[in-house]
Amino acid sequence: MLKNITLGQYFPGESLIHRLDPRTKLLATIALIAIVFVVQGFSGFLLIAAFVIACAASTGIHLKFLVRGLKPLFFIIIFTFVLNLFFQTEGTELVHVGFIRITDHGLRMASFMAVRLILLVVSSQLLTLTTSPISLTDGLETLFRPLQAIHFPAHEIAMMMSIALRFIPTLMDEADKIMKAQKARGANFETGSIIARAKAMVPLLVPLFVGAFRRAEELALAMDARCYRGGAGRTRMKQLKFGRIDALAALALALLLVAVLALNAIGAF
Amino acid sequence: MKKAIIEARDVCFRYEDAPVNAVDKVNLTVAQGEFLAILGRNGSGKSTFAKLLNALLLPSSGELTVNGIRAVSEDDCYEVRKSCGMVFQNPDNQIVTTIVEEDCAFGLENLGVEPAEIRRRVDEALHSVGMTDYAQASPSMLSGGQKQRVAVAGVLAMRPRIIVFDESTAMLDPIGRRDVFALARRLNVEEGITVVWITHFMEEAALADRLVVMDKGVIALEGAPREVFAQTDRVLALGLDVPEVMKLADALRKGGVDLPAELMTVNEMAVALCQRREALNQTVVCHSKLSSVFDDGHPAQPDESQNVIEVKKLTHVYMPGTPFEARALNEITLAVREGEFAGIIGHTGSGKSTLVTHLNGLERSEPGVVLVKGTDLGLKDTDLIAVRRTVGLVFQYPEYQLFEETVAKDVAYGPNNLGLEPNEVSSRVNWAIRQVGLDPEQVAEKSPFELSGGQKRRVAIAGVLAMKPSILILDEPAAGLDPAGRREMLSLIRSIHDSGTTVVMVSHSMDDVGRYCDRLFVLNKGEMAYSGTPAEVFIHDEKLHDIGLDVPECAKLARRLRQAGFDMPEGIYRIEDVCAAILENLRGGSGAGC
Repeated sequence: MLKNITLGQYFPGESLIHRLDPRTKLLATIALIAIVFVVQGFSGFLLIAAFVIACAASTGIHLKFLVRGLKPLFFIIIFTFVLNLFFQTEGTELVHVGFIRITDHGLRMASFMAVRLILLVVSSQLLTLTTSPISLTDGLETLFRPLQAIHFPAHEIAMMMSIALRFIPTLMDEADKIMKAQKARGANFETGSIIARAKAMVPLLVPLFVGAFRRAEELALAMDARCYRGGAGRTRMKQLKFGRIDALAALALALLLVAVLALNAIGAF
Repeated sequence: MKKAIIEARDVCFRYEDAPVNAVDKVNLTVAQGEFLAILGRNGSGKSTFAKLLNALLLPSSGELTVNGIRAVSEDDCYEVRKSCGMVFQNPDNQIVTTIVEEDCAFGLENLGVEPAEIRRRVDEALHSVGMTDYAQASPSMLSGGQKQRVAVAGVLAMRPRIIVFDESTAMLDPIGRRDVFALARRLNVEEGITVVWITHFMEEAALADRLVVMDKGVIALEGAPREVFAQTDRVLALGLDVPEVMKLADALRKGGVDLPAELMTVNEMAVALCQRREALNQTVVCHSKLSSVFDDGHPAQPDESQNVIEVKKLTHVYMPGTPFEARALNEITLAVREGEFAGIIGHTGSGKSTLVTHLNGLERSEPGVVLVKGTDLGLKDTDLIAVRRTVGLVFQYPEYQLFEETVAKDVAYGPNNLGLEPNEVSSRVNWAIRQVGLDPEQVAEKSPFELSGGQKRRVAIAGVLAMKPSILILDEPAAGLDPAGRREMLSLIRSIHDSGTTVVMVSHSMDDVGRYCDRLFVLNKGEMAYSGTPAEVFIHDEKLHDIGLDVPECAKLARRLRQAGFDMPEGIYRIEDVCAAILENLRGGSGAGC
């Protein structure tokens, strides 16, 4: 029943942000990241944070899911913070214990970097939470299509991603079945040294790979039978279309950028 | 005869490095709008022939025309594929995208059709296969039968003149099978699409307009299904089977009953037998002359000490507390006795596979108790490895779990996990390989991946037997095999049972469990629907049909005849028994009454 687990972190919904064209969301995320880098003071971050939180609130997704994405990056954030804290020597000294010397400038830089990282992660979280993997793939393919002129395989990459998405649940199901079958033959996957456990994975991985190759071969045949011959001359049933909400999103981001630049200009905190 | 849509003249095909032709000088004409079935054992060349029709392969020599296009060169292959669609065997491996309607659009997108036109045709195709409600669904959430319908829709959207179904029902349960076959038949009748239906199931082939039997790359038999099946001995020799009614007809003729040739369905047989009886002037209805099967030899309630497996009120809930929560088993109670051959039957989703994974402690659920030889599998300190040594479990398609370099090493995996001495392991490996009907000297050092499908499955079963379980559970051991392979597999399991092993066989074929099992447990939607001897279970034939399980044809016939006034004992289902009862009826002192 592993196949019932939803893939990625996509949270289905009908909000304005959910309905944005995936290209808009991709470009908006890139723009938002750029804006985060433009910011020079905490007031700018406050503004962006307010913007991101407002967006998240409008999607109906609980804030805790946005924050959850920070977990794997927790150490990097702490590391960045500590690094900046200890190695910035300019500014007025605040604490001096042994070789550790913390200045007001250092504290400011450390917090600045940490907040910047958090905002970067949370903004991209917003994208993956509101966009299904398949429409992300579609968006990426369309965005990269112009690059096909310089032989960038946009279609092939998108097709591979979409097939991978299609078969992940199937393969997870199969892995579960093979694991049970080997357990029925007395296999033990849970205990023993790391080496013993890695060895115990062989009876699981070999059949899984053999199965994946068999599936790939059959799928290739089925695609052939339905006249697949690469991206050239191919059309799509669903055409991505920019609508009024996409213009609205662009406008909102432009306003955000102007506000951030204004804050920079007046040198706000 | 109608216009030909497929014409094959002396078509040959040889795979690279193969010593002989896979398809050898085949001459075949298929008429427009025909429903043609192709039968043949594994390796008979029928799938290769199917791929030639779709230009997935090109003939090595000979002439092949499909819908007026010569399917012999690369240049025209897309034109051929447009007019001749193909639905494959494995429902999972032919769906490309994660959304049903997008998969349906895949072919048209490849052809570069305008988006609006694609939309229109996709909606039409999904409607035609009855999957409109699932347009936005993810294929991985669909049943096998539904996936095949999506595959048909994907082909249909391309507006083909011909659809080739290459064993498209082989991996489905009876409901899915009936469903997909009916869909193909409807497209054939209503939309005039020519169908080439490749199958291992005789009951499907029997419903085709015409039947071709392939063997070693050539057409061995050809004609209307009843003409072909009437050559019973020849069909059996080709590794196939004939419908049960035809076997019964054969047996009756040998018993001296004069029957018209080419009887194939239960209905035809019932009518013919009633006519015979009238001719014999024996219209008096009499009962009680023949004893019911329940009177003789049916054991009284046996004492519980014989039970090797006991399941009491077992309930299993999948993913509790999530939106996907589902009750896979609901208060299941059953007992398997020492030395028994028990059958668990039900369709996909009935919970039968979930149930068997509880019988060796792979899954444990609350509430409920599972006892194996008195050991409670639910207790924390139960030694599960010891349980798995007692209860061998062979999964569905067990050949997909093989992983070692050689057959011997693979079979040794289980015994090694039990920590046995090397000597003991190697003697068990040889013993187990022999048990499954293979020769250790020939196969032991081969890679399991070099073997044929049926041999691989035998090796996988040997891997479980090598642990010397006293109880062997097999989940659909005959699934996906051709009729001869099926017969061999089932007789192998019977011989394992005869050598003293308690066997539990999971199946969705009533014919198989009826023929081999002492006792049946019928599961439906996680509940125990019926249990008892096959005779006791088959009495509920109408209700079984409603839950998607068919009783053997002979049981159906016996019931029909009883209704028509024949004196048929309750609950008979074996060909021999039904044949004997009919002969008794027709002989029974002609005209003398009771």
